[in-house]
Amino acid sequence: MPMKTKGTMSRRSFMKLSAAAAATTVGSSSRILYALVSEKQGTQPNQLRDQFSACDMCFNKCGLIARVEDGVVKKLDPNPKSLKSRGMLCARGNAGVRQLYDPDRLKYPLLRKGQRGEGRWQRLSWEQALDHAAEQMERIGQKYTRCGFLFMAGTDMQSTFVHHFAEVYGSYNVISHESNCLLSRNRAFLDTYGVVPTPDIIHSKHVIMPGANRFEALVTPDSIDLMTAMQNGCKLVVLDPRFTKTAALADEWFAIKPGTDMAFFLAVAQVLISENLYDQKFVAEKTSGFEELRTHVQPYTPEWAAGETEIPAKDIRRLARELAAAAPTAMVYPGRRSSDYKDSTQIRRSFAIVNALLGNWDQKGGLILPKKIKTGSISHDPPFYEDNPDDRVDAGRAQMMFDEEGSFKHTRDAVIEGKPYPIKGWLTYKTNPMQTGANRNKTIEMIHKLDFMVTVDIAMSDTAWMADLVLPAPSYLERQDPVSAFLASSACSGVLTRDPVVPALFESKPVFWIVKELAKRLDLAEYFDFTIEDFRKAQLKKLPEVAKALKNDGVYNLVGHSHGIHEGKPFKTRSKKIELYNSRYAENGINPLPVYRPPQAVPENHFRIVVGRNAYITQSASTNNTLLWELEHENCLWIHPVPAKRLGIQNEKLVEVQSAVGKGWLKARVTEDTRPDTVYMDTGFGVISEGLSKIFGKGACIADVLEDHADRISGNMAMHETFVTVSKI
Amino acid sequence: MKQSTPKKYGIVIDASKCIDCKACMIACKVENNIPEGAWRNWIRPSWDTGDGRKAEFQPGQCMQCDTPSCVAACPVNATYKQPDGIVAIDPKKCISCGNCVTACPYGARYRNSARQIADKCDFCEDRLKRGEEPACVITCPTKTRVFGDLNDPASKVSRLLKDEKLVRVTAPHVDTRPNIYYYQGTRLLDWAVTPTLPGNVHMSREFWEKT
Repeated sequence: MPMKTKGTMSRRSFMKLSAAAAATTVGSSSRILYALVSEKQGTQPNQLRDQFSACDMCFNKCGLIARVEDGVVKKLDPNPKSLKSRGMLCARGNAGVRQLYDPDRLKYPLLRKGQRGEGRWQRLSWEQALDHAAEQMERIGQKYTRCGFLFMAGTDMQSTFVHHFAEVYGSYNVISHESNCLLSRNRAFLDTYGVVPTPDIIHSKHVIMPGANRFEALVTPDSIDLMTAMQNGCKLVVLDPRFTKTAALADEWFAIKPGTDMAFFLAVAQVLISENLYDQKFVAEKTSGFEELRTHVQPYTPEWAAGETEIPAKDIRRLARELAAAAPTAMVYPGRRSSDYKDSTQIRRSFAIVNALLGNWDQKGGLILPKKIKTGSISHDPPFYEDNPDDRVDAGRAQMMFDEEGSFKHTRDAVIEGKPYPIKGWLTYKTNPMQTGANRNKTIEMIHKLDFMVTVDIAMSDTAWMADLVLPAPSYLERQDPVSAFLASSACSGVLTRDPVVPALFESKPVFWIVKELAKRLDLAEYFDFTIEDFRKAQLKKLPEVAKALKNDGVYNLVGHSHGIHEGKPFKTRSKKIELYNSRYAENGINPLPVYRPPQAVPENHFRIVVGRNAYITQSASTNNTLLWELEHENCLWIHPVPAKRLGIQNEKLVEVQSAVGKGWLKARVTEDTRPDTVYMDTGFGVISEGLSKIFGKGACIADVLEDHADRISGNMAMHETFVTVSKI
Repeated sequence: MKQSTPKKYGIVIDASKCIDCKACMIACKVENNIPEGAWRNWIRPSWDTGDGRKAEFQPGQCMQCDTPSCVAACPVNATYKQPDGIVAIDPKKCISCGNCVTACPYGARYRNSARQIADKCDFCEDRLKRGEEPACVITCPTKTRVFGDLNDPASKVSRLLKDEKLVRVTAPHVDTRPNIYYYQGTRLLDWAVTPTLPGNVHMSREFWEKT
């Protein structure tokens, strides 16, 4: 008999079978699975149960149902109640079982014995490991102040505890992964709308998607909603130097010259204004700085933009008119990863401004901002450390940084320079800057400046490989997490959580337990006087209906109230309106309107290298997964046939790609799917960690080749500013 | 639903919805414990390299044919058509000769080296027994595949068969009468091949005549 542990499974309603349906075991079981299940887990034979969880193979947190047979997780299925993920689970989500049962997983604490990155380790007990880490933290805090210890936690439901720990330990040098990703987009929309809106794709009739690759770089619900919208007649126009699968499925694709998106949208704005196609009522009532914008965009004609973007003027004009005709049920897609150019925030400001001209704010098919569910918390007054410096170590290196996210690029520079003060310790949790932060050699240089580095992760990532102490964490299927509130466009506002589907394997311990144990040793136990259970109770104190839904459905969805909810309310900007012209920028020496600066010309015999994704790679976290590895054994360099011929480069033959900071060897993919001036390779290969057995020695590492430029305003990494040479080997 | 009505399972695929994310392929591998390098299902791309470049991604798997050439090619009757329409393999009878692999016009079969049998999609029979849809169907982001009982006029697949213009992929010299339907307009219709067999075996004349 199947045994249900949690609520009703609506997926069972498909053929309405009686409960007497036999639970049959599937085929022969993989030996790996059973070998990794500890005997003391007390499994009973022929037991089948289903349990809710949330995927953690990328940041999306799609709802799932784990099928457990005899104590082994056999299959992960989508949770049909998960409105955010539209009841789906992608290739990575399905491959989650192999993250759990991965022989490459970290199994117990490891202390470095040889040189950094040499890969010689000594096994420690948890007592030894925690005592050692606490001693190092105490020593560094005493000698260099508490801010001499840096914390970096990736996107994770337990990262909040790492932040809490950093706060009570006394360091405000906390950085996230986001400055390698989307901060310039956030900055731009925040500085225009006062908030970061979310695109209501499912209701849209016309989407211009610059740079984003939503059918490969999956974001739920956007990726699924884009297809639904297109089936309902939405037109999709993609601007991308690569022929991505999104481009391949679009109504129109333009291989825009990299770095010229702003020129395109300034010209669109010029057409909308000069032809009176913008939403005049909306602009008059809800925006500020329109006259300045009108004057500003006058010279930015489609004819001018054609020279920059290499998109014909007649097409730019037509696309602007079509966009206006579909408004307000039309949008310029804001995108997600925007770590591309030094002008990245200003480029996204041009997207934001065109959206404002369309009057799509708070409208169906436009840019919306439903209310996020507010969860409670446990709060403590953190201790005060008198000797701490005045500011973050990366302060002042960008014009308008997000203090709560920091900048990886600028922090790394500061650590290397030892200015304005030294940083000698680093704790990383579930983030892999060795693979995701441009200029890997600089990351290595930074690590060599440290006295002590501790990494908490599931597998021996390249970052863990460089650490002094490596601590094994459980996968998402083995741990209890706090609840997490999310916003999923017009699909819903929601809350989800995780409970262990199976007990944690090996000696892995959740980061909550780790920081709590460190706190004990550092005399900070009073700030961790709670369990995750207590924390969750505090989070849900005023939300009894959420607790109930989590139990019954595995997710809480609040549907409705997505459009027209901000009517009559002031925007959270200085002018209380949408700031086409940003006066705060003007006061800080930043162009108050996006001024186009042409991207640096690609030098002769060079290429611009760009960053991207496919649907089965999450940066560097999934390439060693044995199932996903079957879809991609190694990365290759996309290069256009014309330059390939000139350089004597043949398909599938090894090439060397070299920039000013690094180089790599990988196979060429000679293809018309990229522009002749642009090359591309996937992230997540060319690893230095021998602990990633499937991919060690395969392909090249893009972080090794990319130079580390930064967006001037947000301090976000600028990863499309690197020129490379390519030569056959 | 009347208990006595026999089921006949089939799938209708709208290839225009497929984004080639490979979720169905990995879901199938996990559900059915498929060895490394082998697959029970696929996504077949068609790249239009003309001026208005476009692509289509066409998912597929065993077509559970009504006159299956694999069944006709099996020398030991290990592969057979079930009353519910699924073409099944009896692992106890299968000698892993591989005749059925080349006999399939769709390349839907492979030899499972670990289990020493021929293997292919069975619409996730174990899931069906539990009342669940096949793994590839349920996991798909855009719900490209619609699965159901072709004998039940109220099922979604039957309604699609009635209301939509659907096509089937058939081989040049035989029509094995597949039970996977595609929306009309799918570009990839001519990829199936004529069944072939090793020289020492043959499929009965009756098979070729029937199809």
